[in-house]
Amino acid sequence: MGESSSWSRALVQISPYTFASIGIAISIGVSVLGAAWGIYITGSSLIGAAIKAPRITSKNLISVIFCEAVAIYGVIVAIILQTKLESVSDSQLYAPESLRAGYAIFASGIIVGFANLFCGLCVGIIGSSCALSDAQNSTLFVKILVIEIFGSALGLFGVIVGIIMSSQATWPAKTA
Amino acid sequence: MAGVMQKFILASMIMWVAPMAILYGFNHHIIPGSGQLSSSSQTLLSGFLAVISVNLVIVFYIIMAMKEPANRESQPDPAFLAEAKASINQSATTTSNPDAQSRDKVE
Repeated sequence: MGESSSWSRALVQISPYTFASIGIAISIGVSVLGAAWGIYITGSSLIGAAIKAPRITSKNLISVIFCEAVAIYGVIVAIILQTKLESVSDSQLYAPESLRAGYAIFASGIIVGFANLFCGLCVGIIGSSCALSDAQNSTLFVKILVIEIFGSALGLFGVIVGIIMSSQATWPAKTA
Repeated sequence: MAGVMQKFILASMIMWVAPMAILYGFNHHIIPGSGQLSSSSQTLLSGFLAVISVNLVIVFYIIMAMKEPANRESQPDPAFLAEAKASINQSATTTSNPDAQSRDKVE
């Protein structure tokens, strides 16, 4: 009866390594989900539209490249985050600075993963419409490409914030 | 079509290799001057350079793709066109000779 709520105790006692590892997994897993979603939406429209207008393929592969860049952002951040994951001694494992580092890596992974998820989805849907309208009227391509560039900037925002967030994830030094 | 695929695969490969190489170079101190950086600024610099390299490859690919000559504009595939024309001619000749075909039921 005198204990604090068991949920808050359970959350605080989760090891920071767990949070950091889940952050790394989310950063690449959810980014690749977004990139794959975008590529299959764009790819199927592109291949279908190229039946009657085969000239569109070379320019509209730009949409696929934008989606692939989203996956690469996830990989870059995952590599950066896993270099940030260090071992600390047992006594320091639940020190506040240690928890802070674990949470920072977790948050960085979530930021990058979800920003890239929606960026990939956005670029995929715009790319599919771009292929269809380019097949009909090739002057529309450049205008829709501008919209796609705005869409791909969303992923870039997430990556920048994720990298800045992870740069200050310092674990406590190994003192005796 | 082969030229298109070649350019695309080349750009994709560079897009994967360049940021990995930059990150590897910074983490293993291969790039001159990366040893003196503090851990946080090393992360920042390597991360931003990797992201910038990906964006440079994208810009490069866009320039390459836009420069391609716009040939065969607004013309469908010639084989498809030939088949379509042949089927139109065939249906035109059959409708102009209605008694050429007997449509009696064969029992």
